[in-house]
Amino acid sequence: MAGAVLLAGCTKSGDNVVENHAPQDAPGHTRDFTSVKYFDAAPFQQQMKSRLSGADAQPLPGGLLVIKQFKLETFNTNGSRQAIGEAPECVYDMKNGAANSAGHLRLQSGDGKARVEGDGFLWRQDDSFFIISNHTHEVFEIGSETNIGL
Amino acid sequence: MKMLYLIALTALATGTTARAQMGTNTAPHFLRLLDIHADIAEGILGGHTFTNRGHVHASSPGFDMTCEQLVASSPQSGGRVNHIVAETNVVIDATDSKGQTVHATSDKAVYDYSVENGVTNETVTLTGNPQPQVITHQGTFVSTNWADVIIWDRANNGFRSIGNTRSIGGPTSAGTNAPPAATNELTATKMSLPPGADTNFPPGKLDLIPSGHPGNSAPPPGRPPPLQR
Repeated sequence: MAGAVLLAGCTKSGDNVVENHAPQDAPGHTRDFTSVKYFDAAPFQQQMKSRLSGADAQPLPGGLLVIKQFKLETFNTNGSRQAIGEAPECVYDMKNGAANSAGHLRLQSGDGKARVEGDGFLWRQDDSFFIISNHTHEVFEIGSETNIGL
Repeated sequence: MKMLYLIALTALATGTTARAQMGTNTAPHFLRLLDIHADIAEGILGGHTFTNRGHVHASSPGFDMTCEQLVASSPQSGGRVNHIVAETNVVIDATDSKGQTVHATSDKAVYDYSVENGVTNETVTLTGNPQPQVITHQGTFVSTNWADVIIWDRANNGFRSIGNTRSIGGPTSAGTNAPPAATNELTATKMSLPPGADTNFPPGKLDLIPSGHPGNSAPPPGRPPPLQR
């Protein structure tokens, strides 16, 4: 039932759409979690801006979800993949559209030419801001066509 | 993290050949692949600015830099990373295309890369307080320069100092097995000099005048001449 609750009222562009396609193992516990955000501005309202997914999602009080095997994807308005991020686990705040974890995060550009990783992160879905707070390691190519922000 | 710009000698040599053939100064990038370690990294996915803070170490073949903050940017219009600002306790160690080693310290270092009308501009501008300092080693010669602003022109492989400038230079200190630096100083052959004429006077001075010669009446250095009555 948690999935149905999450889906309610989230169908217009710019909002999050949360889906769970798999059966629940326990009350509120879902598998194959997915949350999609679309571009606000015309004519791209039908284009995905970002997609969060996870193999397993466990709800916590306050509108939080603990997501295992967290995967983050962001897209350009032409539909090409902008960046991919992966973390073993994170807490996703559905109300504020933010994911954070004390664990490891690895991000890389869609073309793979730039990457950054480290321990402990926050990612905001609205503006795609991210911060990795410990032991960061970044590699990028000077002069590549890849934006430095992945 | 830690913003990477560098010198790959082979690549630069290749670039020099290419420039000669093409008649331009389009050079390979000073920095190509930048490997950065830092405490903190932040940015916007898909954005044009990326910031690294805390114990920043940026490296690339032939290039190492440490600082406390590094911000890398690409143009708003998209495209290549062309602007990097390193701040606070910036220390750069690099090797240029001539094999010259460079050790630079400054409060701030700004890397800029652009190509305009087929001409490559690639500079590292050092500023801040205390004055930026650049130490270069070329063979057995070491040069130390301070200035309010020091611009390392990567495309033309040189340094330009602006404002209050000071420099010192000379052979590296003894203790190496490097051959002595070549000079154009003349050396006197003393094999034909009369006995007693070989002194530690500088070449071409009084010791070259045979004893008994009218011109050899001057006293040794440091002794006052006799009074003439």
